[in-house]
Amino acid sequence: MDVTIAILVTGLTNGALYALATLGLSLVWGSMGMLNMAHGSMLALGGYMVFTVAVSLGLPVWAGFIGAAAAGAVFGGLLYLGVVRPLLKAGGPGFETSVMIATVGIAIGLENALLLVYGGRPLPQPFAVPGSVQLGAGVMPWLNAVIVIVAFVVMAVMGYLIAKTKMGRAIRATAQNRDAALLMGVPVERTYLQVLGLAGALAGICGVLLSSITQLSPTLGADPMLKAFIMCVVAGLGNLPGAVIAAFGLALIEAAVQFALGARWGFPVLLMLVIAILIWRPNGLFGRAQIRRM
Amino acid sequence: MSDTSSRLPVSAGRSALRGDLAIGVVFLVCAIAAPFVIESKYLIGQLIVGLFWAGIAVQWNLLFGYAGIFSLAQMAVFAVGGYGTAMLATYLGFNIWLAIFCGAVLATLFSMLVGLACLRLQGVYVALLTFAISSVVYLLIVTDTACFQMIGTTCRQFTGGASGFSRFGDFGMRQLLRGDWVRGNYGIVLAGFLLTLISSWVIIHSPMGLAFKALRDNQSYAIARGINRFHTQLLVFGISAFFTGLTGGLYAAHFQAIGPSVFSMSTLLFIMAIAVVGGTGTFWGPVLGTIVLMVADELMRDAGQFRTLGLGLLIAVFVVLLPRGIVGRLSDFLTTIRARRAAPQQGD
Repeated sequence: MDVTIAILVTGLTNGALYALATLGLSLVWGSMGMLNMAHGSMLALGGYMVFTVAVSLGLPVWAGFIGAAAAGAVFGGLLYLGVVRPLLKAGGPGFETSVMIATVGIAIGLENALLLVYGGRPLPQPFAVPGSVQLGAGVMPWLNAVIVIVAFVVMAVMGYLIAKTKMGRAIRATAQNRDAALLMGVPVERTYLQVLGLAGALAGICGVLLSSITQLSPTLGADPMLKAFIMCVVAGLGNLPGAVIAAFGLALIEAAVQFALGARWGFPVLLMLVIAILIWRPNGLFGRAQIRRM
Repeated sequence: MSDTSSRLPVSAGRSALRGDLAIGVVFLVCAIAAPFVIESKYLIGQLIVGLFWAGIAVQWNLLFGYAGIFSLAQMAVFAVGGYGTAMLATYLGFNIWLAIFCGAVLATLFSMLVGLACLRLQGVYVALLTFAISSVVYLLIVTDTACFQMIGTTCRQFTGGASGFSRFGDFGMRQLLRGDWVRGNYGIVLAGFLLTLISSWVIIHSPMGLAFKALRDNQSYAIARGINRFHTQLLVFGISAFFTGLTGGLYAAHFQAIGPSVFSMSTLLFIMAIAVVGGTGTFWGPVLGTIVLMVADELMRDAGQFRTLGLGLLIAVFVVLLPRGIVGRLSDFLTTIRARRAAPQQGD
């Protein structure tokens, strides 16, 4: 019984974190067909921003959250202006891969910049919630509950932004058909900027939550990003609700495998599952076969 | 450069052959002269490393630049070649040359399995699947702790675990040339690289290479014209893997060691950066890219901590400003000049 609760607590906490990371990736993929390899380093940027705001500047922790989201959004915007827009302008069928390689370069650069500024020593995270609660035979730290709640609030806000606002409508229109949206007067460039800004803000908040259960290091985003990619793929790239479901599902499976077979097998089993899913359904579980433009 | 040959008439194809041959001879003369001119053993060692990277990049270019398959399992294939060589030499006492050959065959089989798994996938999904496969192999090797053999008081895992294999034999140059063994190894590695380079030239210019390019440029049309995607894709996975695995075996035999670090993301990125900077889909791109990046890397060695930062930004800047790489840009430039020279005669 206590094992079940432990699996649920770990799985749900990780699921919430993965869902946030996956959402940012999937949003960018869905609207512009771009796989943002710099997403992991943007998570790290968020984690370090809360450290700067709350520890170095001495401001309250909630200000750190805002700082992290803002830093992520600004970086996302810069990424669009400096890298993505010129590549989109150049056009051609190579965009998918060239943007992947370019963002990989940006990711290496950002991680190293963080390393140079903050040093390689792991830093403690100022955002922490002490205490825990007894759940039957198991224990749930309050921190995990807060992470799940914050993640759900952020997801709800994102859902509202996408579904109800004018900006969200523009994003969805651009994702469906870029040229049609452009002809209908949607400012596609500004929409792309907003998408990357939003994804950056998501990454910033996710980074804060993530570093609260681990520690701050420049590569803290690498592992969650890899898993987020996997979840995106399982759900079908660009499918936001599917991504959230896949994140929770896979996190629970990973936690269960780790408890049952040992920590060594958690990730490999996950990867093998994904390989099997991809062979069985080449466009992901919830993805539809897309017609490729020629 | 040579890439455009397929779209041009036969005479242009022949001039492309002449162009490639001329560049090849210059490259070969420089490469052969290098060990006699350069005194420093460190530099020759770096040249050997450069030849390894160039060999992997040439094969990745065949896969991505010509066949349009964005595979991230390239370093895993390389590792299978290296590990195959090391394990056959360690456990079965294979002669190093035979082990290298068998390692390359193993790499081919591995890669064809990966190719089978990728057959129904497109674009980024191929990238993610190949990445997942190589991550699984890496994780299973690194976390392997079960003892397979006891050597003295230390235990060795079947896959070598986190430390990998070492001292399973070398090219025999230490006995043959003594102090000059680095130069001997350089010769062997250079021969291996030339084999890789020439075979990729032959493949690119054969009907098979045309089929690769046709599938890359417009898959539906290529299939409608009777190109068998199944055969062609398996073939390109197999061929590029054979030479990648061969390079892996040579790498293992040169360093007399192979470990899980060859799987690292940064190595893979370096290979991709080489191909991108030089120009994907161009024959000389990977070679030129290796030279540029190795030199840049050496120059930034003085900058110490800023080296990785510089390398990352360099990749991004190249992709944004020179999307077709140096070679692609150069050939565009040459075409423009030729067109300008031809234009006045027609216009006046």
